[in-house]
Amino acid sequence: MNFKIFLLIKLFVLFLISSASALVIGSDEEEIYIDANFSGKNLLVFGAFYSDPSQARDDKSDILIEVVGPSEDVVIRKKESFFGFWLNSKSVRFNDVPGFYYLSSTNKITNEFLNENKIGLLNKKDTQLIDWSALNIDWGNIKNQKEKDTFYDALIRTKESEDVYRKVSGEIQIIDGNLFRSYIEIPNTVPVGQYKVNLYLIIDNKISNEYSYNFMVTRVGIEEAIYSFSKNYPLIYGLISLLIAILIGVSGAEVFKRFRKV
Amino acid sequence: MSIYLPIAELSINIILLLSIGGVVGFLSGMFGLGGGFLMTPILIFIGIPTNVAVATSANQIVASSISGTIGYWRQGLVDFKMGGVLLIGSFFGSILGVWIFSRLVVLGQIDTVISILYFALLTSIGIIMLIESSQVIRDRVRRKTVKRKIHYHNWAHKLPFKMKFYKSKLYISAIPPIIIGFVIGILSATMGIGGTFILIPAMIYFLGMPTSKVIGTSLFQIIFVTALVTLLHATTTFAVDAVLAFFLIIASVVGAQLGVLAANKLRGEEIRALLAIIVLGVAVKIALDLLVEPNEIFNISVIRALF
Repeated sequence: MNFKIFLLIKLFVLFLISSASALVIGSDEEEIYIDANFSGKNLLVFGAFYSDPSQARDDKSDILIEVVGPSEDVVIRKKESFFGFWLNSKSVRFNDVPGFYYLSSTNKITNEFLNENKIGLLNKKDTQLIDWSALNIDWGNIKNQKEKDTFYDALIRTKESEDVYRKVSGEIQIIDGNLFRSYIEIPNTVPVGQYKVNLYLIIDNKISNEYSYNFMVTRVGIEEAIYSFSKNYPLIYGLISLLIAILIGVSGAEVFKRFRKV
Repeated sequence: MSIYLPIAELSINIILLLSIGGVVGFLSGMFGLGGGFLMTPILIFIGIPTNVAVATSANQIVASSISGTIGYWRQGLVDFKMGGVLLIGSFFGSILGVWIFSRLVVLGQIDTVISILYFALLTSIGIIMLIESSQVIRDRVRRKTVKRKIHYHNWAHKLPFKMKFYKSKLYISAIPPIIIGFVIGILSATMGIGGTFILIPAMIYFLGMPTSKVIGTSLFQIIFVTALVTLLHATTTFAVDAVLAFFLIIASVVGAQLGVLAANKLRGEEIRALLAIIVLGVAVKIALDLLVEPNEIFNISVIRALF
């Protein structure tokens, strides 16, 4: 009984603070471990609107979930034909590009909205209003804007083909008018590091409330141990690799000696 | 049944790895070749990144060449002094080779250069093997035996810094073996090969070494070249995949021994001709990849923070 009253008070307070709406969010994982058998994971993100608990969700309000992975530096190279051979020629370096990017909404969100609120990386290719300032780019000797755009498109395209960039709508399920949940596919190609989930409540094309939390993607197991060992102690790692080769080579010759009449 | 390769960063079927190691090992045991020239392109075909394929092949060849050297050493067919002189050249060659390799990685041209080198290499090996095996088959049909000179005298005998190689019954300058070793070192570091098929004819024709000592001596020096290349790659390009190497080594050592057994029982020329055709097929595939317009002309590579 006490608990119910407490919850009601809490909801009421939330209602007062946000005046129109509030958001709560949760997830089934705070850390995702990648081991030898990791084949991807569906991360559950769920939450509730608190626009007015007694009323069903306002049709005009929408949810936008954005997941941004750890940033990495990438080089995009373009192949060109030299005397019949297809060789890498021009290259552009993009610094601090998200290694994973996911954007999901209850309804189709317009590009104007995303640009206005400076959300999104993927949407920029659809518009003329490309905001390059978000990325630190080394264009090399490329000056032509059209050519720059082809490299930007190639970045998005290759990341999409690796399933690490996605933009979807209509995948968020609304339950009971006031609760929502969504499964976010984390493929096994994702980079390790800290991921940020941003949740936006949109009413009348305006962000009315936002909420963020972080989760980690970590490599574990013997594979991770070997990987970090090879980076931290390369000489010892090389010597161990050699030792394994020598041992197997010598024992191979010994074991098969008796079978050979040399 | 898959295994995750920590350096190549992908999962691959264990049976596939063991089959590749076994088949390449079998062929190398059968024909007395290192097998690196088949291993590296096959690894690249199954999706292993080029740098990992090259560096890991070198590691695998360490095992197979040790195994082979022991066999020849027991028969007294290794000229250690000649091997040592070759190694002086190989030492500097492989350092230069790994430096070239890491420069090409930075420039983004490593895949192309490796493809072109392999195309040239496989085409010439394939053609030589095809000619040689068809000649042997023809000679056998005509019941002819080929006579060979024991010793070739050429410019290698006229240079300074002459040394005595008792085992090979040679008194030649140290410069030609050092140069040969240098070239092998570069090729080993950039292509992940031992280089037997270049080393053996070079030792016979340029140095005039007796054929019986050539294979054991070349295998002996390849142990050290590929070991050095493995260490250099592990410390500069970080591309040696120990898990991948482990499975390839296990399978190739067993395969090589079975290949030696099979070679004693089978007549090699027909299989050698078949191998030549396979090698040429691989060369054509590599050439097509270079010449046909790719579907996606852009490619992406993530710059790894080395910590």
